Amino acid sequence: MRFLRLGNLGMRGVAGTGLTPHNVIAYASAVGTYFSGGRIAVGMDSRISSKMFRNATVSGLLGSGAEVIDAGICPAPMLHHLVCRERLSGAVLIGAGHHQAGWNAIVPLSPRGSCFSHLQTQELLGIYHSGIYHSVPWNAVGKIRPCPEGLADSYLDLLCSLADAEKIAACRFKVIADFCNGSGSVLAESFAKRFGVELIPINQILSGVLPHDPEPRPRTAMQVQSLIKVLNADIGFVFNSDMSRASIVTDSGETLSEEYSFPIVADHVLRLAGPGAGVVSNCCTTRTLDDIVRMRGGVLFKGKVGQAHTIDRMFETSSVLSGDGSGSIALARGVPGFDSFLLMALVLESMAFRGKTSSQLAARLPRYNIIKRAVPCSSSHAYSVLRSLRGSLFPDAVFSDEDGLRFDWPDGWVHLRASMTEPIVRMIVEWKTREKAEEYAAKVSSVIERVAAS
Amino acid sequence: MKREVFRRLKIGVSGVRGVVGESLSPMLVSDFAAAFGEFVGGGRVLVGRDTRSSGEMYENAVAAGLLSVGIQPVLTGILPTPSLQFAVRATSASGAIAITASHNGNEWNALKFIGPDGLFLNQTANDELLDIYNQPDPNYVSENRIRTEKFLPGAFLMHQEKILASVDAEAIRSSHFKVAVDCCNGVGALYSRKFLEALGCETVSIFDSWGNGFERPPEPVPAHLGVLSACVREHNCAIGFAQDPDGDRISLVSGSGAILGAQDSALLIGAYLIRKHPGETMVLNIQTTRALELVAKEYGVKVVYSPVGEVNVTDAMGASGAFLGIEGSSGGVIYPEISMCRDSYAAMALVLEMLASGGRSVDALLESLPRLSSVSAKVVCPSAQAGVNALRALRDRWSSRNPITVDGVRIDLDNGAWVLLRRSNTEPVIRILAESADPAAAEALARDFEKELSGLLKK
Repeated sequence: MRFLRLGNLGMRGVAGTGLTPHNVIAYASAVGTYFSGGRIAVGMDSRISSKMFRNATVSGLLGSGAEVIDAGICPAPMLHHLVCRERLSGAVLIGAGHHQAGWNAIVPLSPRGSCFSHLQTQELLGIYHSGIYHSVPWNAVGKIRPCPEGLADSYLDLLCSLADAEKIAACRFKVIADFCNGSGSVLAESFAKRFGVELIPINQILSGVLPHDPEPRPRTAMQVQSLIKVLNADIGFVFNSDMSRASIVTDSGETLSEEYSFPIVADHVLRLAGPGAGVVSNCCTTRTLDDIVRMRGGVLFKGKVGQAHTIDRMFETSSVLSGDGSGSIALARGVPGFDSFLLMALVLESMAFRGKTSSQLAARLPRYNIIKRAVPCSSSHAYSVLRSLRGSLFPDAVFSDEDGLRFDWPDGWVHLRASMTEPIVRMIVEWKTREKAEEYAAKVSSVIERVAAS
Repeated sequence: MKREVFRRLKIGVSGVRGVVGESLSPMLVSDFAAAFGEFVGGGRVLVGRDTRSSGEMYENAVAAGLLSVGIQPVLTGILPTPSLQFAVRATSASGAIAITASHNGNEWNALKFIGPDGLFLNQTANDELLDIYNQPDPNYVSENRIRTEKFLPGAFLMHQEKILASVDAEAIRSSHFKVAVDCCNGVGALYSRKFLEALGCETVSIFDSWGNGFERPPEPVPAHLGVLSACVREHNCAIGFAQDPDGDRISLVSGSGAILGAQDSALLIGAYLIRKHPGETMVLNIQTTRALELVAKEYGVKVVYSPVGEVNVTDAMGASGAFLGIEGSSGGVIYPEISMCRDSYAAMALVLEMLASGGRSVDALLESLPRLSSVSAKVVCPSAQAGVNALRALRDRWSSRNPITVDGVRIDLDNGAWVLLRRSNTEPVIRILAESADPAAAEALARDFEKELSGLLKK
């Protein structure tokens, strides 16, 4: 088990073991020092430990002279929006998104409203590790201010400017949404009202308890899947606890892999944007996306894994859309972070514009067989195991090590990456045929297990 | 860095005290709160604070620390320390943390730890707490055992009700006093006016805003109470009350505008209560005016001495079953019939009851009491140990007078005169307090001992 991880996605760890109030106050003090005070929003998801880490974060920020804007329980995309709307110095998002219960994370957002870039992270960690923070005297200690009025409305206004609420409302869609008892719950009702959908929310109690593994995966879509035909719904969505990831269940009851959320949105967005529009993805997203972008005449940019890289790259390449295979998307005109409410709106818009059902949208996708698997490997070991496999594993493949190890063949690919949170190597294998995918997956697993054992 | 800076964190019997933005980091505060959570072992811990601008920051750090070890923090917001102590017992909490540096200036703040009995932790308990704090691995709980913080906004009213029920509120109300209160921009700014109005007083309040620091030095000593004195005279008040930032200490100003100071304030209230409890036992901290002992003798009240410091007084009170404890040095009145702590609200109510019952003014009441002149001095002492050595030598030199060594060295001389030499807890000095019926004699006594002590320190 790994307990604490510091990196581009903030400080994350197991509450009480790696992530303690002491660490979090120190980290928040470093964030406050980085911003030299200013106005910093603090938002959180609904996990039980989030409130404790909110207290710790607020304390550290106030001590560095920052004014804290208390956003309370706030979906991640709304916090990105708050930073932009109020022109804040930055924000801190407390919430572990897709991580299992017991975990939490403290994620700083830049003045642009996005996750810290690699350079910003380096600078922040320099301050954190020095242990020397800007501590203001008594008369400069920050104050806590309530969140400005109308934040939710202004966020929904933004969504309505990105997806056609009227057209969606005209279709009177029946939608099942599983909020995983997360921060998305707070906006469920107003979203449904704005877009005129009959929203049937499940798991939208802010109890702090996760009803299931919060990572949107086929196995976590069971509840939605079991309801969709019974309730005769048009589509179902499964969200993570902070509304940065989503997977889809179609009206026919098919649970789509979370890999297909992004391609379905890309198919729609590129259709409207026309040829030549840019899309940013990372190096371990399904080839379905490559095919869709090609079919729509778009331009695909691939980069490192991680929200910060992906969003940065979208702005850098003037692309219209970015996302990744974990079920995340962002529009250049939207908030500068992954936004699952936007994902839901765009998928509904796609159905409305094209008069198609969700299963028909899914049927358009060129399918591959994708296998995501965890290969046990102690964490310090994982790095050296991966290093030793670099050149030798598949000499016949096109190799890239931009992020983890990626091997490409004309019909498929393999991606290996040390997990940030667990002592495992994450393996993704995708192939046209099921047999080939299984064959490569088995081969890679056995090689890693052998190398790890030696 | 100057040596001074290293001395700006104090961890001791009065809690953890330090300078905002310097020695008292939120990390340290959170870690101490976690240690206190482990110390009380579970349940609910109340968290109160005074009006300092750093209060919110430390409140968040304390809540995080308590949550991390499975405690449920109950936030009372801005609350007088005596009300917090009262609320601990009233709500059967496991303890409380008061975030206040009491009479220290704006730049200071502190954590004061309160046990399940509503009393500050004594030396033994503090040692245990420090031991827990110094262990390498706090027993942080996993997420499924983390509790949710709660809020208790009405804690002061519980305390107020108890006070009103313990004094003759009807007599006070029917007297329609006009009073002035100096809230010191502290907790009193939120509560004192309403409290006095509940006792039927027409109330003039000053320094009654909060949030921007203290507009007068926060210790309620005579030099800082000029504005209150002028206010009492201007508005023809029967009395003026001066509080400190967290509402435990009290100082009085008479109807003529005379500033009583801590000792005379304690004397006045103490004498009133002695008359109500003839033949019982009371505790005086060693730095309290001897005039109180003279009154006690008159009413057959037995006196027990205690070291300076609230917890020392309450410990001695518990051991002796005392009806009253007085800290003359700081205007502290501890009256267990209302609450077992220094409590400016209880003191205000008792003073008003006294005025209502006798029909005599503060000046007249004070006139009827034995009064002693006191003179204080201090001698700088090169190190703590040098101070201890000098005081021991002094004790031996004066052994024929049977010095009292409860805290420092107190020597009782002829004609009721006495002198106390005691190391300060806050500064590297030895403080000298001399009292005598004759002002010149008191002055001479202080000077003599100043000289003698300086000589001993040079050895």
